[in-house]
Amino acid sequence: MNLVSLSYKNLIRKKIRTGLTVGGVAIAVSVLVSLMGFDKGYQRGLKSDIDKMGYQLLVTAKGCPYEAATLMLQGGGGLRYMEQEVYSKIIQDSRIDKVTPQLVHTVADPDKNDGQGGMMLFMGIHPSLLELKPWMEYKMGGWFSSETALEVIMGYEAAELEQRVVGDQIYVPGIDQVLTVVGIFKRTGTQDDGIIFVPIQTARDLFKLDNKLTGIGIKLKQIDDLVDFQEDLYNEPGIQVISMAQVQGTIYNLISSARVMTNSIALIAVVIAVIGVINTILMSVFERTKEIGVMRALGASRLDIFKIIWFETVMICFIGGIFGNILAFLGGHLVEQLVRGVIPYVPSGQLIYITAPLVFSSFLGAVAMGLMAGIYPAIWASSLRPVEAVRGSE
Amino acid sequence: MRTLILLLTFVLLSVNNAFAAVGCDLSDPDRDVKRLFPESTGYKTEYVTIEERGGQELAGQIEAKLGEALDSFYETLDVPYAFYRVLKGKEVVGYVHGVNQKGQYGGMQLILATDLHGKILEFYYQKISSPEAKQFRDKNFTRNFTGLTLEDFLALTIPKGSQGVEIQDPSENSQKDFLATLRGVKKNLILLDEFVLGNNSSSVLQEGGNNNADN
Repeated sequence: MNLVSLSYKNLIRKKIRTGLTVGGVAIAVSVLVSLMGFDKGYQRGLKSDIDKMGYQLLVTAKGCPYEAATLMLQGGGGLRYMEQEVYSKIIQDSRIDKVTPQLVHTVADPDKNDGQGGMMLFMGIHPSLLELKPWMEYKMGGWFSSETALEVIMGYEAAELEQRVVGDQIYVPGIDQVLTVVGIFKRTGTQDDGIIFVPIQTARDLFKLDNKLTGIGIKLKQIDDLVDFQEDLYNEPGIQVISMAQVQGTIYNLISSARVMTNSIALIAVVIAVIGVINTILMSVFERTKEIGVMRALGASRLDIFKIIWFETVMICFIGGIFGNILAFLGGHLVEQLVRGVIPYVPSGQLIYITAPLVFSSFLGAVAMGLMAGIYPAIWASSLRPVEAVRGSE
Repeated sequence: MRTLILLLTFVLLSVNNAFAAVGCDLSDPDRDVKRLFPESTGYKTEYVTIEERGGQELAGQIEAKLGEALDSFYETLDVPYAFYRVLKGKEVVGYVHGVNQKGQYGGMQLILATDLHGKILEFYYQKISSPEAKQFRDKNFTRNFTGLTLEDFLALTIPKGSQGVEIQDPSENSQKDFLATLRGVKKNLILLDEFVLGNNSSSVLQEGGNNNADN
């Protein structure tokens, strides 16, 4: 009988104890894989969301962000406004590849949410938006008939919620205005899916925001010019420039504290699992002291005993690693739903992104954990002297 | 401050939760179920699609009862309908079910609370987009639906008129929304009948069909 099969037989002698220990390792591995997959998925989703904004820089009016957010949430005016002249000046810059003006406005709808009210988000847009976001394609219909048309193009989810098709009407509460749907965009998986788009001049007319803008999206010809371009705009009065790379970095920084906490939890789970494995193997060794003594007396070397105990530990962690990865795969969707319900901003796309290298490394980690956890019990068992072991257990 | 500006700008740009999915869930099930059934102690939610319960054939039966075709864009076979089985202890005491319905100026979300036989206990709009939304939401209008069953609606063929149910249009200029409301409530009852009550209305439909033919 070789040492591996001997180790295996030792383990299945105490099925429940072995099963519970394997379960502990599996949970620890599963938590670790899920958290690392979440980290990867979140970064990937965030990058994708920011890339799909279509521009590298966003110019907005200077103002208090708290005030802006409050106003937006209450409906009505949003961010502080810029004048059209800012746009006219910016587009003169030869470093710009594409640029688009935007006018965002929210309308409070008292008849949403069982009469408790909700928001409708309108965005005044210019044809240049589709140059910056070429992936925005029509599911049906097309662009507005004129710059001042009382028409809307709806994002996919907005159309779905309002059950609109091209030719239907849509009511704008507050200003008591009816607009006609002329287009519906295909699903993009971004914030654009929930927006109702109107011609920018129509937005100005409807919401009494003559010559106003809330944002200017900019894409440069050369990404290397980004810092210089940003610096130049910082000197312009009344506006602020936000780089999408900065936004990404800021969100990474904000979630990094949460990451430290979740990684600590994962680490604690691993430590508990390791202690559990050591405890199980040590108990097993204590119970088999006499047996180990007999084996030594019959000619088993210290190395043989060491190997038997070590193999047992590695097997527990090996099987735990397999089940842990399976658990992470199966539970990933559940965790994703939970996270989406709890975190205020969650990027679109797959949130728990479990890759083959992640599975492989977690699996190797579990085996390494077994190798480490097995050292002390294996040394302890192999250092037993045959006569004392047999006598001591009597 | 800079961090705040960056973050808030992104959040404001990322209002991707502003609109719900195409199904019609209760906006706050714990609150809504307790309000509709004060004696309830809990509820169970079940999501059902026409696709998984009978596919195109079932859709045909639903359309026959409804008296018109389902919308090819927003009433597809894969729309998930949420049914709330209201519990008092372990006993089911009623059902809550909502449907989306296309209105004249936007989507409506029509919620029905029914007893175990599908009789309407309460009807309300979770969402309605209309210049005359106030008139439609008015209790004087919505309470007209209380006590009605699917059988009361089966004689009603949308959009020909409102014969079969004696409910007056509360609006002045939104007759389409009134008819859409009747259609939505009828669809809601048909789906409840098909998915939860075990299709009790088939015989009534037969009778109703004959009556219509006689007329």
